Amino acid sequence: MVSTVQNTDVKQKESDHAVVVAVASRAVFEPEAQGGDNVYAEGVAFPLLQALQKVNERLLEENSAESLLFDIVLITTDSQQQQQSSHLISSTKHYGLEVSRFCFSTEEDFIESLLQNNVQLFLSTDRNEVSQTSQKGVLSALLDEYTTSCPSEQLRVLFCGDAVIRPDTNPTPASRQAAQSFSAQLGKMRQRFGMSDSPLSIVLMTSCGGRDSCGGALRTLRSLGISVDEAYCLAGSPRGPILSVLRPHFVLSDCFSGLED
Amino acid sequence: MSLNTGQSLTVSGQDLTKNGSSSRAPWEDARTVLKPSTPTRKPKPPKPENAITIAVSARVLFTMEKEQQIYEQQGMEDYIKYQVEHETEPFSPGPAFSFVKALEAVNTQLRELYPESEELFDVVLMTNNHANVGLRLINTINHHQLFIERFCMTGGNSPIGYLKAYHANLYLSADPIKVREALEEGIAAATMFTPEKIMEVSETQLRVAFDGDAVLFSDESERIYKAHGLDKFFEHEKAHENKPLDHGPLKCFLEALGKLQKKFYAKGQRMDCPIRTYLVTARSAASSGTRALKTLRSWGLEIDEALFLAGAPKGPMLEKIRPHIFFDDQMFHVEGAAEMGTVACHVPYGIAQRVTKRGIWDKDTSSAPK
Repeated sequence: MVSTVQNTDVKQKESDHAVVVAVASRAVFEPEAQGGDNVYAEGVAFPLLQALQKVNERLLEENSAESLLFDIVLITTDSQQQQQSSHLISSTKHYGLEVSRFCFSTEEDFIESLLQNNVQLFLSTDRNEVSQTSQKGVLSALLDEYTTSCPSEQLRVLFCGDAVIRPDTNPTPASRQAAQSFSAQLGKMRQRFGMSDSPLSIVLMTSCGGRDSCGGALRTLRSLGISVDEAYCLAGSPRGPILSVLRPHFVLSDCFSGLED
Repeated sequence: MSLNTGQSLTVSGQDLTKNGSSSRAPWEDARTVLKPSTPTRKPKPPKPENAITIAVSARVLFTMEKEQQIYEQQGMEDYIKYQVEHETEPFSPGPAFSFVKALEAVNTQLRELYPESEELFDVVLMTNNHANVGLRLINTINHHQLFIERFCMTGGNSPIGYLKAYHANLYLSADPIKVREALEEGIAAATMFTPEKIMEVSETQLRVAFDGDAVLFSDESERIYKAHGLDKFFEHEKAHENKPLDHGPLKCFLEALGKLQKKFYAKGQRMDCPIRTYLVTARSAASSGTRALKTLRSWGLEIDEALFLAGAPKGPMLEKIRPHIFFDDQMFHVEGAAEMGTVACHVPYGIAQRVTKRGIWDKDTSSAPK
């Protein structure tokens, strides 16, 4: 059974305009390690949450009445975590995380919970969860051990222009639609800031194709209202070394599926 | 007729299969002509670990003077706006252009002799520019038919990490600060200047000229000269004739060129090798030059021509050689070369940088996108 609890420490966002991002609790907190006082230790997604918060902070600096903000939801995806609800709440408050609400669900109903909460992006360290969610039409991205070394001052979102980073998932029309609509919102957020010193950086990478493939991807993103900050065309060179310099918080690839050059 | 990965088809329908077979029936020819034109399949870029990677910035590959002015006078937003408005207008060639074309000419010849090998030059566009300028850069590369398939547009972030990720063998930029950073990270790098006039250079033979001290060699001898004068310098070099000098920042690049040269020699192309290297040094042939040559020999490196100028200006000699690129650690020589039309690059390394009175780094242009 799902229960949703609001975080009274945090101002709630306007549901019509906010961009709802759900992060799996196992990514936010280290479930095994406890830092005393029943407070969990920081998980790999901490820099990501800080970066999302930074974007909100800067958006409100530009316009104190801004409603296009990230609405962060902490979601449990198994019954074990669901049992830890009070610790999750107290840990969140302890770190002052800008989590608006908590969804306490199990492995059976967490996807339903995502849909009910109008989640536009789901982030998890669990490959299966990401895959299942994506198949149900909710945009999702995998967080890994690299996420922990990402900057906390700037949110870096990587668009993979030739959709090869996740070959195991077959994006459905619904997930492609979800990807495009999230990306368009991200594009709008980006427009609130100038060319330099933006708390949000939109990065494009094409792995296999040459320059024309990257050019095509730039045009596609532009048509979705997304202005790209950084572009990397690898033309077959290994991704690893470049990604470790790039340090994106997460990767989106579903925008381009079906638009092969 | 089927197209497998080995074949390519030009607009005229001429079959350019790798093994050159042309055993097609007449009706296949007709079908070829009627088929909508397929673009010639471009050769695949080599894997970075096999290739000699040359990273060039946008401002040295192309001429972006007008845009640079807009950036400096009106700021980033106007600069980007201008670039996007002129997206379909290609930039004209910059100082590195003829060098890059010569690299491609060498690649073409290498591919002919060694079709399976990936030991080739790989040119990567490494620019600080915002990706909004990306389409104009891609359009320009297409317009000039350059073979550049890899690029990093870092949107203001440092390129150093990406240079390392690509194992860049050489980095050329207009920004002396980035060049210095690259050198400090052990990457061969130089600040490229635009020559004052255009000098015609070969389209089939790549010519690379190097200064000796503080470029190929370390600056150890230059230090002695600066501290104790010419006589002491000669004495020291004579006394240490048989002790190899330590290596300088561009030694590895010369080594990489040598590796490719040997591939041409192996196919009998020594006399007219498509790569030619030159040492253009202020050392004298009679005395201090010996140590330089012995050092090169001890490294197992060959240089095609060694020009000992005994202190004479380098400009006129370079005008005779006509290299595509010349590396020197002293701005005096770089400027002298550029005056006479050579594409000269400054390697900000060693004792010469501290002694010179002129500021090397123009702080005003330090944050300009390259």
